[in-house]
Amino acid sequence: MTTVTAAPAHHDSGTFRAALPHIAPFLGILVLAVILPFVSNDYWVLIGTRAAIYWVLVSGLNLVVGFAGHLAIGYVALLTLGAYTTSVLVAGNVMPPVPVFAALPIAGAVGAVFGVIVGLPALRLRTFYFAMSTLGFATIVTQIALAWQSVTGGGIGIVGPEFPAPFNTAWGFYFLCICFGVVTTWMSANIARSRFGRALIAVRDAEVAAEATGISKPKMLIAIFLFAGALAAIAGGLFATLQTYITPDAFTFDLSVLFFIAILIGGRGSILGPMLGTIILTILPEIAAPLAAWSTFLYAVLLLLIVLVMPGGIAALLDFRNRRPLASNRAIVPRPAALADIVRKRTGGSHLKLRGIALSFGNVRAIDGLDLDVAPGEIHGLIGPNGSGKTTTLNVISGYYAAEAGSMTLGDDALPPGEPTLRAHRGIARTFQTPRVIGEASVLQNVMIGGSIEGRASFVESMLALPRNAWDERMLAAKARALLGVVGLESLAEVRTDRLQHSELRFIEIARALMLDPDFLLLDEPAAGLSNDEIERLAVLIKAICARGTGVLLVEHHADLIFDICHQVTVLNLGRTLAAGTPAEIRVHKEVVSAYLGG
Amino acid sequence: MLTSAAEPLLAVQALESGYGKIRVLHGIDIEIAAGEVVALLGPNGAGKTTLLRALSGLLPVTSGQVRFAGRDMTNATPREAGRAGLVHVIEGHRVFTQISVTDNLLIAGYDLPRGERAGRVEEALSYFPEIAEKRHERGGALSGGQQQMLTVAQGLVRRPRLLMLDEPSAGLSPVLVDRVLNVIDQLRKQGTAVLLVEQLLEKALAAADRVYALVQGNIVLQAPTSESNLPQRLERAYFGHESHASVVG
Amino acid sequence: MLASIIASGLAAGAIYALVGVTYNTMFSTSRVMSFTAGQLAMLGGVFGSLFTLKLGLPIVVGFLLTLVCCAIIGIITEFVAVRPVLKSLDQHLYVLSTLAVALMIQQVSAIKWGTEPQPFPRLFGIGSGVWDEKFWLPVVACAITIVALEYLYRRTLVGRAFVAIAEDNFAARALGLPERNLRVASYALAGVIGGVAGYSGGELMLAFFANGALLNFYGFVPVALGGLGNNRGAIVGGLALGLFQQAANFLVGGIFSSVAVFTLFIVVLLAAPQGLFGSSTARRV
Repeated sequence: MTTVTAAPAHHDSGTFRAALPHIAPFLGILVLAVILPFVSNDYWVLIGTRAAIYWVLVSGLNLVVGFAGHLAIGYVALLTLGAYTTSVLVAGNVMPPVPVFAALPIAGAVGAVFGVIVGLPALRLRTFYFAMSTLGFATIVTQIALAWQSVTGGGIGIVGPEFPAPFNTAWGFYFLCICFGVVTTWMSANIARSRFGRALIAVRDAEVAAEATGISKPKMLIAIFLFAGALAAIAGGLFATLQTYITPDAFTFDLSVLFFIAILIGGRGSILGPMLGTIILTILPEIAAPLAAWSTFLYAVLLLLIVLVMPGGIAALLDFRNRRPLASNRAIVPRPAALADIVRKRTGGSHLKLRGIALSFGNVRAIDGLDLDVAPGEIHGLIGPNGSGKTTTLNVISGYYAAEAGSMTLGDDALPPGEPTLRAHRGIARTFQTPRVIGEASVLQNVMIGGSIEGRASFVESMLALPRNAWDERMLAAKARALLGVVGLESLAEVRTDRLQHSELRFIEIARALMLDPDFLLLDEPAAGLSNDEIERLAVLIKAICARGTGVLLVEHHADLIFDICHQVTVLNLGRTLAAGTPAEIRVHKEVVSAYLGG
Repeated sequence: MLTSAAEPLLAVQALESGYGKIRVLHGIDIEIAAGEVVALLGPNGAGKTTLLRALSGLLPVTSGQVRFAGRDMTNATPREAGRAGLVHVIEGHRVFTQISVTDNLLIAGYDLPRGERAGRVEEALSYFPEIAEKRHERGGALSGGQQQMLTVAQGLVRRPRLLMLDEPSAGLSPVLVDRVLNVIDQLRKQGTAVLLVEQLLEKALAAADRVYALVQGNIVLQAPTSESNLPQRLERAYFGHESHASVVG
Repeated sequence: MLASIIASGLAAGAIYALVGVTYNTMFSTSRVMSFTAGQLAMLGGVFGSLFTLKLGLPIVVGFLLTLVCCAIIGIITEFVAVRPVLKSLDQHLYVLSTLAVALMIQQVSAIKWGTEPQPFPRLFGIGSGVWDEKFWLPVVACAITIVALEYLYRRTLVGRAFVAIAEDNFAARALGLPERNLRVASYALAGVIGGVAGYSGGELMLAFFANGALLNFYGFVPVALGGLGNNRGAIVGGLALGLFQQAANFLVGGIFSSVAVFTLFIVVLLAAPQGLFGSSTARRV
């Protein structure tokens, strides 16, 4: 119905040509939408208008559901809110009448505010709770619309707003709605393709890793709840005009289901898919009139099928590129020398110091008075038996746990306990024991996540594709590609990450961490699951990173690797330092050997 | 090292397993004879727990074969394995804290005929008088050591032919460790085989007849505990070299 | 007025509490919150009216048939919407799959039963005014259900197995408990509890297809208040919610009571995400 061209203005012609395959389907849909009135009747124009209005709402909701992964199932409530706000303002039954083109933005602002209120639970809790809060909101909005008769007209209803000429005809209104659709598609696509869109998916699929790269979930979510709420309310205003007369009955829960399922059928993390989903679901009951009564049932069946059989939705069906087989004999060949072009060379720098850190889980003392110094340009190994507190130490440094006692300093400044999203700003990057990557995103996008905090464009700038956003994108993409070259995975840059092997994910995580150009890099068992060849290459890579002046804290079980590359080794046992020293000292340390063998 | 010429109780061939995409075990071959106590040693992350889980059906076996008591038990469910007498006591003394000690044991005998359960529970409790005294207390009221005994007792309710114990000593005081490991001796005398994963080398060597050492998902060493230079050989297997310090034990 | 607030508040609260227990029963064995909980209660009313009023069956037969039907719906939910997505629990696909089943139930009810509320039979004809059976029936049903569940969980092996699976699914599986069968059984049990909620509340809420979505929300609020899987919290939370809602209803009117309930819900979720009675969060990293 509607469509977009993603802002090509600031790209050179090469990138435009590369983007063309992505834009072409949207242009095709736009062309079809424009010729629709000329080849059909007013009835189909009405259907087309409805689909366009739905898409205005869905294009915003798509960022909440498809990108951020929050299951907002009651968005009809915001449509209702927008419809009544616009109608009441235009009708003037509470205050002097307002022209419709002023009423729509006001409705949008109201919708934005309520979008955030309904979304608040999502900041702390995911999935079912959020689904329920939107469902509850939908329930009470309908009840209020019915009961607040002086304003909403109760069950009798209220006249919808009328647009001035030339938008007061079926055709005129149709093209107006198409225009709205084009604009919202453009804006949502801009957000989706910016670092904000990637951050949304990162928070959805790898929240912990997203925090470590400095992405602040609340800020991100509030921004898109504002956006989605505003679009939903504006769609509501258009919807009220289309209906000409609105009653609470017009806003059944079935509509919510349609919006929600359109996105899931379309596929998560896609714009084109949900757009096709919206069009299909709007048209479906029309071309099969006997099914109209059963349409919600049909949607539900579709939803179940999507979940059980085709989790990727339409977008996955259309994703031809990722069906080409990958070379099975590919090897990771890092080129650490290239690091010099990307990572700045440091000399000296501040030390990361832990003093007397203690942390308990219930009755278990996970860390019990730990001192640790990581120097810049040095690889510090952290070893010890299971449950000795190695990973917990990393988690304390990266702020996932707040230590109960002790202090952490970076140079002269204290490193505040907790607050994982602030670590990236302090130049601390890390990897995880189980790689935390976004399976549905490309390898390149996964690496670009690591540089999120280096972007300078604001959310609004990104939404409107202003120059700073384009600059951010070019910078992040170039850096990510270069780092993929360093870790030896540049040939896989465009591949969906969930198609890769486990060992490749470990190197992707390192590349992502390097996007920060970190002063300190925390590696949590980077060699686990790697072949011996890969471990050797990993060792070379870590040494090269360290040689640029980065301090590396390495938690590892592979004794060979630790003794081979570390400058300093700290051995933990039961949350305490059992021994600390050079590898040569540690490997002959009596207590260490017996702790490893059991003593 | 296997003494009996007949088919061993447990025979594992070329077993591979792991978590999702991550393969942890790369072709494991082990055998355990009836009534034999075998210790499975190895550094962290070597795959000891993974091996036990794959044997008891808690993790899928991606390739290879598990034969137990003359039957193919590859990818049997934990329930089937338990019925055949292959019982796994998982790590971390995970008892059910909300129900009583007796109920914890009754649940372990869920599969048994109704009339036999009470008897089996008493039989299992007879190994551990200290928790028999607390049979009406909730599992959560026990100390860590008592909880560990309870999980072992849960395994014994099913009268295993091979009992797999995953780090029964973890977090216990030395006295309690001996207490738990003593039971292994009792079991050996009754002809029950035991596969023991144990961090405490000295204790493991004292309890077991034979050891396997697992390093990075491969069996690197297999020897009877009677061999005198075993600690040194193990150290070489783990570290790839021998330290100059003498090893405790 | 106070008497009516208490009578209608406790009645509605008991229904909410039972729906909350339905949620918990499914959650305990599967870690899945299912959108079918409210629908099961709706079906309790619809089936009750269908069997007793429409088909003219004796009350006892109608009641038992209602429970059987609800149990079957519960089992179907497990097979269709829960089992296939359990492997990837962390992706929360169950929200979608159970929502799909709930929508199907709702839509079939709307089409086959009708979109208008239909009368529910008067069962005993005892009491009037605030002592009308439509007020005390849900409360009695709730009390009986609690006692029966306590008996199940404390005195029977199957019940203890439920408790065990709820506490530590992995350890229960390692012990060789037939986890899958027990899960199916718990979904059947949840169906029965939901059916009891709807049947006992039939005279109050009528046989109405839209009750499902309503009860989904109002039944979930006590679960959120009490903490997932905590039946005691759900009962206390449900009764408190019913009283709060009815008091607001009588004192300040219908609109504001629902606004108040929603606000309470959001505030509690933000202030105490694990519920007022729930335990603290698990480790994340």
